[in-house]
Amino acid sequence: MPRGFLAQEIAELKAQLVEMGEYVVRSVNLSIQSLRLLDPNVAEDVITMDEIIDHQRIEIEGKCLRLIATQQPVARDLRVIMATFSIATDLERIGDHADDIASIVLRHANEPLLKPLIDIPRMTEVATGMLRDALKSLVEEDVELAKKLCERDAIVDALYNQVFRELLVFMMADPKTIARATYLIMAAQAVERIADLATNVAERSLYITTGVYSELNAD
Amino acid sequence: MSGVIETVNLNLYYGTYQALKGVNVTFAERRVTAVIGPSGCGKSTLLRTLNRMNDHLGAQVTGQVLFRGEDIYMPATNVVALRSRIGMVFQRPNPFPFSVYDNVAMGPRMHSVPASQIPTIVEESLLASDLWHRVKDRLLSPALELSLGQQQQLCIARVIATNPEIILFDEPCSALDPETTLHIEELIRRLSKEYSVIVVTHNMQQAARVSETTVFMLSGQIIEVGSTLKMFTSPSDKRTEDYISGRYG
Repeated sequence: MPRGFLAQEIAELKAQLVEMGEYVVRSVNLSIQSLRLLDPNVAEDVITMDEIIDHQRIEIEGKCLRLIATQQPVARDLRVIMATFSIATDLERIGDHADDIASIVLRHANEPLLKPLIDIPRMTEVATGMLRDALKSLVEEDVELAKKLCERDAIVDALYNQVFRELLVFMMADPKTIARATYLIMAAQAVERIADLATNVAERSLYITTGVYSELNAD
Repeated sequence: MSGVIETVNLNLYYGTYQALKGVNVTFAERRVTAVIGPSGCGKSTLLRTLNRMNDHLGAQVTGQVLFRGEDIYMPATNVVALRSRIGMVFQRPNPFPFSVYDNVAMGPRMHSVPASQIPTIVEESLLASDLWHRVKDRLLSPALELSLGQQQQLCIARVIATNPEIILFDEPCSALDPETTLHIEELIRRLSKEYSVIVVTHNMQQAARVSETTVFMLSGQIIEVGSTLKMFTSPSDKRTEDYISGRYG
């Protein structure tokens, strides 16, 4: 089959991207677990995972560059490779946010959490679900799945606003809680950004299939 | 790097004109190496030195061409045997005016392969060149009735039938349409799993698509040799960069 080599390379590239995505989801879930338990060992694991994620991004970008330079892809093939290039960067940024949450745990030291975590894990569950579905929409070329992601981004945004208002009340009532409240706001913000980046992934997935770039972010 | 064939300080003259100047290059085993460069740079001349096809043109050669360590320009070299081990596919498909079967069988017959083995060799060679399923029911029909792309595949089968170690391709697709070209490129890629392949091409994009190593030539000299990826993303020599980015000339 003509261009069989390119087709095989693109299939392997997609598989590599999905693998990176799964690894990123694991790192995000672990980062929230480390925050919930204030476990520095788990936090250190997340930081180590971020280094691997960085390496995965470089590998995928290198492969995309190689394919563009040597195979002259056009049309859909080119869109797939360019989208993969961008998505790898988005996934790496998600990994960075998980790393940020893990760093918060290390900074929190021995102080207890200001309040038990309920909304932030809920945000994380929605955000990681969005990321999984965004990658699924890429692999399965499911346009409808990609389009529906923005509805869940709105849920994450609403939860973030709730968390922010709640912690603001804490800080106003007792200035001694400002540091711990700020840490939780930073963690919530990181998860909110993860959801936004998952929407980016869905947008690029849509672009591959339709050839048209559409904004899906709720705000 | 050890390779299957290498040139050592190779110079070639057509009369007083020096077409190759101090060429030192090693071609790796079971890989596709592309040789690129502008017209008249010596890439086809270099290719032809690798199986002494330049002998017919009255070229004078100094230096060495070492095939598995042995200089093919030694007087004792059996040139006919050499060309069965290092076969060549030319720019324009050139099947003999015989049947499809006889085109492929001719090489083994000339090398005294037992007649009982010929049918198997013909089938395997046509399979390897991806032509068998199109011609198996008309092996006795004239080769010249095949399409141009199929004729080129037949020429590839003809080379494979002599059990070569190296296959030289001299601009194998320049007479073919784009779709057939891609088909031949896929074939070249597959062939490199069994044979060492060297492709001369003026089509840089083809060189990038099909090869793992690229040699860039200019005015009879090797300018740069490297992995194809490196050559097409970050070449070391500015002349290479200028050529592949279309700024040359």
